[in-house]
Formats: sequence, C-alpha cells, structure tokens
Amino acid sequence: MNAHQTQSGRLSQVLWYLPVLLILAFFTFPLIWIVMTALKPPIDVFAYPPKFVFTPTLDNYRRVLASDYMDSLGHSVIIALVSAAFSVVLGTLTAYGFSRYPLRGKDNLFFWILSLRMLPVIAVIVPYFLLFQRVGLTDTLVAMMLVYAVFNISFTVWLLKGFFDEVPREMEEAAKMDGYGPWGVFTRVALPLVIPGIATAIVFNVVQSINEFLLAFVLTQRKATTAPIALLNFLTPMGLDWGGISAAASMLVTPVIILAIIVRKHLIRGMSFGQLE
Amino acid sequence: MSGAVPAQLADVTVEQATISSRFARQAKLFPWLLFGPTILYLLVLSIFPLIYSLGVSLYDYTLGGDATFVGLQNYRDLLTDSVFWRKTWTTLQITIFAVGIELALGLVCALVLNRRLPGIGVIRLIIYLPMMMSPLVIGYFWKFILDGSFGVLNYLISFLGIPPQQWTIDLTLAKASIVLVDVWQWTPFVILILLAGLQSVPPQIYEAATLDRASIWMQFTRITLPYLTTPILLALLFRTIDTFKIFDIVYVVTAGGPGDLTETLSVFAFYEGFKFSQLGRAAAISWLVVIVINILATVLIKLLARQRSKAVLDEEGAVA
Repeated sequence: MNAHQTQSGRLSQVLWYLPVLLILAFFTFPLIWIVMTALKPPIDVFAYPPKFVFTPTLDNYRRVLASDYMDSLGHSVIIALVSAAFSVVLGTLTAYGFSRYPLRGKDNLFFWILSLRMLPVIAVIVPYFLLFQRVGLTDTLVAMMLVYAVFNISFTVWLLKGFFDEVPREMEEAAKMDGYGPWGVFTRVALPLVIPGIATAIVFNVVQSINEFLLAFVLTQRKATTAPIALLNFLTPMGLDWGGISAAASMLVTPVIILAIIVRKHLIRGMSFGQLE
Repeated sequence: MSGAVPAQLADVTVEQATISSRFARQAKLFPWLLFGPTILYLLVLSIFPLIYSLGVSLYDYTLGGDATFVGLQNYRDLLTDSVFWRKTWTTLQITIFAVGIELALGLVCALVLNRRLPGIGVIRLIIYLPMMMSPLVIGYFWKFILDGSFGVLNYLISFLGIPPQQWTIDLTLAKASIVLVDVWQWTPFVILILLAGLQSVPPQIYEAATLDRASIWMQFTRITLPYLTTPILLALLFRTIDTFKIFDIVYVVTAGGPGDLTETLSVFAFYEGFKFSQLGRAAAISWLVVIVINILATVLIKLLARQRSKAVLDEEGAVA
C-alpha cells in the first residue's frame, strides 16, 4: 500500500513536469529564436519554412560590432551607471529619513514619491523636450542621466525604506550611547546592514535605464542615442535587418539577464517596489 | 567608599545627558540632509515639468513655430472629437484584455510552479526573465516571430492546420498581437507575485484541511484564494497602470496600425507632438492620461489598503 502510494506520488511528480515544461517553452521560445536568428547566415534569416538547423556564423555579430550600435551601447552603459550612482545616494538618504525621522506631511511626501512610479512618461515628454532645448541639454548624456534619476530615486526610496525598517533600532540606540552623532549612526550602523538592498537598487536602476525607450527617443538625436534607439537603425533597402537586430538585441539583453540572476533573491522586492518580500 | 558609587553613577548620567542632548541638537539638522536634496531634485525635475506641460497645453503650440494662448481649446477639441474617444477605448480594451489574461494565466502558472520539483528554482528564474527586458527589444522579438511572410509563428500553427495569418496587419488580429506581446512580457511578473503569496500559506492549514476531507476546490477557494487577495490586487494595480501607459510595444509591433486601430493614448500623444508638431495638443492628451491614471491608481490603492487592514485584523483575530 505504502510502496504503491509513493510510486503514484513519483509518477504524478514526473507528470507535473509536463505543464511546467509547457510554460517554460512559452516563455523561452522567443529568446531562443532570437539567439538562433542572430547566429544564422543572412540568407537563412528570411527562409520560409524557418530553418531550425543551420551552420552557425558570427557574421551578424561582426556587422553589429563594426556599426554605430556599439557607441550607443556605450552611451547606455554610461548613462545607466552614473544615473544609478546619483540616484542611490539621494534615494538612500531619503529612505533612511522616511524610516527613522519624523517630518511634517511625511505620508503625503512618501505617496508623492511613489506616484512618480505611476507617472506616465508621455506626461513629461513635451516639457522635457522644450526645457532641455532651452538650456542646451538636448542630445546630451547628462540630460538622460538627470531624467532617469527622477524615476530611479523614487524607486530607490521605496525599495530601501523596507530594508532600513528591518534594521533593529536597538543597534542604533547602542551606537547613540557610544557617542555617535546622527551621521555616524547612519553610516556606521544602518548603512552596512542594507548593502544587499543598495546593490539591488543599483541593479534595478541600471536595468531600467538601459531598457528605457520613449524618453531617449525624444531627447536624443545623434550624440547621446542609447542602444534601444540604435536598434531602430538596423535597416536594409529591403526592410529590417533581422540578423543585425537579433544580434544587437541579444547583446543588450545578456547583461540584463546576468544582473537579474545576481539579484534573484530580491527580484520580488524590486519588482513590487518593495511592497512584497 | 560608599559615597563614591553614586558619584560615579552621576557622572555616567551627566555624560549620557550631554551625549543625548548633543545628538538631539544634531538630529534637528540631519533630516534636512536626508530629505532636502531629493525633494529639491524631484520638484525641479518632476513637478515643475508637469506644471510647465499644463501651461503648454493651454497654447496652440507648434514645434518650431508660433505659440498662441487658446485657453482650454485643446481640451475642448479632444473631448468632443470621436477620434480621441476611440483611442481611449483602444487603450482600455488592450489594458482590460492584457491584464485579465495576465492575471488568469499567471494564477494557473503560479499554481503549477508552486510544486516542489527538482530544478524548479532554476525554471522559475528563467521564466522571470522577460519582465526584466526592454519592452522595445521584446517588441522586436515578436514582430519578427509574428511576421506574415517569414515569421515562425505561422509555421508553428501550420502544424495545427491553421492557415498563415497577417498578425500585425490584420484588422482583428493586430490588437490581439499587442495583447499577446504584453502578456508574454508581464505574466512572469504576476507569477512572481502570486508565487510569493502561495508560499506564505502555512502548509499545516492544508494538512488540517485534508484531514477534514475538504475537497481540492474547497481548499483552493477557502484557503489559497484568501491568501492571494493582496498579491492579486497588487498585480492588478501595477499591471493596469503600466498597460494603460503602453508605448514601446505598440510603437514597434504595429506602430499604431493598421490605420490607427492599435493607437493607444501614449502613441497618440507622441504622434501629435513629434510627428505633427502639435505640442500643445500633445501636452493636453498627456494631461488627460495623467488624470485617468490618477483615478485608476486611487481606486486600486484604496482597495489594496482596505484589503491590507482587513488582513491585519484577520491575523490579530487568529492570534486572539
């Protein structure tokens, strides 16, 4: 009886993989298909019926490496890193403030910062375009860093407030008794304990900036174009250069995948804006 | 000897008092450093542009041309124009279908993936990847897959006996294609949030329910679903707001076409502003979008807050 039960348990365990693999196939097929396309010789890219077996080549990658796309990828990386660093400094300070210090109208302020997450990018496109034009920041890396920081700061505040809330207050009280001032308590006690949170914030900020399209599309023209904008330029006289697009897209997505794997433990906190663990 | 102890104690207290009074003095200034830079920054780069945009929306403002004050004319034009309402409806349709499918499919997938199996951790992580990727890049993936003449989807469905379709050009399929791409990217987000909810159910409850011979369905509706209410509302909040703002996927996959059939409000505002150079009109559309999103967010956040306070009460009740 018992042996029979475990056997049927094992069988259902194995059968359970069927729907699991079906789900996995649905969510990975497009990725696999793009990587395959990136490795196809140009003639095979447009073959119909599509080829599943082909001689892989790096031709598409070579073409991308020699194109302007690499400059744009460089812009994306610089913008993302600087904007993330700046946002994390401001965001960490404010998150600590929300977690520890009283402030009149604190709830409203906190809600306002969350509402920036809801703010449609389209709402700020027109004013940013006109204002940056007026101050001569159109098509600069600085403009993109400043703009992305708005969304990144708001994200960082929300994420890190949760991490600071978990720091035991007794530890800070003890440091206070040892003669540390507010700044010392913050940097010596609270900050080291939220380093995983700060790392998560940096990763999410970088990913957000690298992925963003609409703002970069309107605010850059040539000197500061980011990678997603440069993707639009993979054109041939016959239409879109799908081999090039696939190779370029895979180069943009790979670092993002690596970053996602690094923060896998905190994925849910990041994605839910610190609302879930 | 006996008098020395209180004296020492007094010293310590005096010292503590000076430390805490010094701390209190510094703590008065410290919040300025914590809040000041962020508030200032966000005022300059978010509130000011929004107000500026409100100003622009009151002008007949042509890019590179003149700006004439027209008051609420842009808003009046939009609200009395059936084109605006049609695009609002398009946006709502895409939002309702995409979010509905994401929640339903996400729930099913979460229940499937909640089982302890060898390798399930890695499988879950792989499934989460789409939501971390650029929507523009994902739009490209799918535009290629959906292509009418060489796309692999037509090839795959031919095995099911379905003839090839013009996914992104067909009048009825174009909207469905947008929904499909959004569903592909964001169902993983719903799965992530719901799996966390499922894992918060204490396993003893199921054990007790099994002993009480509660059916699988009873266990699902009486135990599982209540634990999922907050995660579902949270997913609904994030997905509704984000899908209502959808731009990248539409811009790449259909560019709003065929005609303007898949043109959402964000795409509409973008075209008005940067294709037809009507910045005043574009600003007015975007302000209308902000208002709608505010209403949606307020309603959903209220629901969420009510659910959360209820959940806390339930828990306290259980403890008592």
